[in-house]
Amino acid sequence: MEKTIELPLFSSYEYNSNFYDELFSKNNEVREIYKTLFKLFSQYSVNEFNSLNERAKESFFNLGITFQVYGENSVQEKIFPFDLFPRIIEEKEWINIEKGVLQRSKALNHFLWDLYHDQKIIKQGIVPLDLISSSENFIEQMKGLDPPEGIYNHISGTDLIKHSDGNYYVLEDNIRCPSGVSYVVGNRTAVKHALFGIFNKYNTHRVVDYGANLLEIMESVKPKGVDNPVCVIITPGVYNSAYYEHSFLAKQMGIDLVEGRDLFVENDFVYKQTIYGPKKVDVIYRRIDDLFIDPLAFRPDSLLGVPGLFSVYQKGNVCLVNAPGTGVADDKAIYTYLPEIIKYYLDEDSILSNVHTYHCSRKNELSYVLENIDKLVIKPVDESGGYGISIGNKLTKAEIQKVRDTVKANPRKYIAQPIMSLSTHPTYIEETRSFEPRHVDLRTFTLLGKDKEYVLKGGLSRVALRKGNLIVNSSQGGGSKDTWVLKS
Amino acid sequence: MLARVANNLFWMGRYIERSEHLARYLNVNYFSSLDAPNELSQSSDFVLRSIMFMASGEIIDSKINLKEEDVLFNVGLNTEKSYSIKQSFNAAYENARSSRDLISTELFESINRINHSIKNYDPEAFVKNGLYDFTTMITKSTAEIRSKIKGTLLHDETYAIIMLGIYLERALQVTLIINSKCSDASVEKNEYKGTLLEDGSHVWSTLLKCAFSYDMMRRLYKKTPIKKNTLEFLILNEDCPRSIKNSLNQTKKYIGILAKHQKITPKSAAFLIGKINCEFEYKQIDDIEENIEEFISDLINKLVVIGEKLDDNYFKVTNHIPKTNELTPQIQKQ
Repeated sequence: MEKTIELPLFSSYEYNSNFYDELFSKNNEVREIYKTLFKLFSQYSVNEFNSLNERAKESFFNLGITFQVYGENSVQEKIFPFDLFPRIIEEKEWINIEKGVLQRSKALNHFLWDLYHDQKIIKQGIVPLDLISSSENFIEQMKGLDPPEGIYNHISGTDLIKHSDGNYYVLEDNIRCPSGVSYVVGNRTAVKHALFGIFNKYNTHRVVDYGANLLEIMESVKPKGVDNPVCVIITPGVYNSAYYEHSFLAKQMGIDLVEGRDLFVENDFVYKQTIYGPKKVDVIYRRIDDLFIDPLAFRPDSLLGVPGLFSVYQKGNVCLVNAPGTGVADDKAIYTYLPEIIKYYLDEDSILSNVHTYHCSRKNELSYVLENIDKLVIKPVDESGGYGISIGNKLTKAEIQKVRDTVKANPRKYIAQPIMSLSTHPTYIEETRSFEPRHVDLRTFTLLGKDKEYVLKGGLSRVALRKGNLIVNSSQGGGSKDTWVLKS
Repeated sequence: MLARVANNLFWMGRYIERSEHLARYLNVNYFSSLDAPNELSQSSDFVLRSIMFMASGEIIDSKINLKEEDVLFNVGLNTEKSYSIKQSFNAAYENARSSRDLISTELFESINRINHSIKNYDPEAFVKNGLYDFTTMITKSTAEIRSKIKGTLLHDETYAIIMLGIYLERALQVTLIINSKCSDASVEKNEYKGTLLEDGSHVWSTLLKCAFSYDMMRRLYKKTPIKKNTLEFLILNEDCPRSIKNSLNQTKKYIGILAKHQKITPKSAAFLIGKINCEFEYKQIDDIEENIEEFISDLINKLVVIGEKLDDNYFKVTNHIPKTNELTPQIQKQ
């Protein structure tokens, strides 16, 4: 049933009751936590809000919170789309999320240790061996290697959605190089500037302490025998789409942002080249994929990495954050075993629910998937950024057949999930100069270190800007929102 | 500080300073020609050649007919000309971007915003009626950036490196401006063969204005600018913030911060900067004026060598390839 709300900025707000709308309840009322915010936004004329929105965009542009699009003859600089209407999460709801994502991160860390050591979970038949042996992200060289303080996934990004039943479900875990945290802080700054008075009415947890916590985590996993570790972030360079984030984090932590060419290996240690000569480096937060970190150990054609770095890591003289080989555990096929993995290592039930997932590698599940593609989302197990996803109900018959053939040809590479009803949230649409409901998810950021754990109270709400679209990734045209976790 | 990033910061400082000097030269020369005292210095061709000489270092063949719109576009906004203000500022921006984790948010925001303004400046409007507006915007913007450098950064090695870039470039740019105006004066002198007013004060006033130094020179000397007092002020006055001597003094101050824990060896950048400062301490304008071309050529060479030494001493990033037999990772067998 379609409902229409009559307000100037919300005149086009027609939410669909098949989805959980974060602003309006099913009986057409503004939810309690949004009432003050809704009142504020309702006071703006369309022109006033439009100019507020333009100023916020300008501030992003001037601060260089941008990415570059390379055309044939020119380079265009663009901001990541940002929406001024924040998402609000009550503390009691957040506590559950926080416990849930922390539980997953810890369980994944145990799982990684086990995979690269005794593989008990496989021997006991809880996770099938073929999922591991067929994973492109399993790194043989990591077998038997003990990362400093036993931590593999120092940084985890967990993607959650709110389903039509009002509950959160985990879409996927990202434990390679999860990105987006700089936008959490950037979004908060933009909202503070635009709506400064509103924070007196909403007691919100701060997000600016992420950098300080990340540095503590990095320092906690220093190699043995080091008192005051020298930490750095390694970036592929200024042309990487996440370069803003890399420089933002380096600035927040007050550490050097290095490129591969700034580091070198000598006598089993890693050094950075400074104006006063070489200086030893102890902990490296690497924003370079596994295969590119060291041309001697992995891809020989990599120009981004540091020759010999992995050898130093093997000798325990440098810590890499996250550890190489974590990608094997955020494979979307492994995801389906997370409840069992949590039970096995922590002896706990999973706090957050998974979305039901069909393994195309299992014969009976494969036949169901092939017969029901129009009702499912088909995902490659090892891609990120929303690439390679097919949403069944948006496909033509010919496209369905094409997906069917692709899955049949390589079933291990795909999983399928029911088309989930991502919640909708009011989002300002420039073309109509009004708020319209758009689907959102939530990426949380969890840190694990020696005797320390931390979850950023907020996370990144990603929004699919095209009407009806369910893919929220920025690489697929998605935007983001500030996310407020209220203090009780 | 990383050597690569130090190099970025050094060149950020240099390109910011270079953009400003180019913009001011373009502005002052073009507009001062409108009330120049004789036909030659009023002529558009004479002014355009002077601008091209300063910007690109090229002496344009007298047979080539220069078009005003082309010259203004090339020096102002042509991205295909490495000497254009747009290219120069963009190089400052790219260097700032590569070191943005080390500089303040406020400083980067200014550089980024100004770069966007330059990038989006309409070339047609610029060559038709935007020359004053554009060049004034550049000089105001670079002043804003310098103020952010001074007011928002720690006055440590990072700051010292940026300031070294700024002052080394300032010394070079003022030298090039003097060279260009001395060349203009020489052309005028040949053209009018002594019929010119004593030393042609217009060209020296223009030179002083190009270096933001006209008012202070008049205040100090209380005389019409002539060749000798102008050169003395711009080369040897240590209180004039745009003089070569002042710029060299500043480079000495900042190399001192950078090299404070290092032994100064002969041929190091710190040694060469110290040496050139000593030479300037005892220079007389009479010696310089007599052989100004030789003086300028020698000074430019010395500034280039100092730049190269700074690169050798602080900014070098070398490729270290470890021996592969030592570093091939041990693959543990199952």
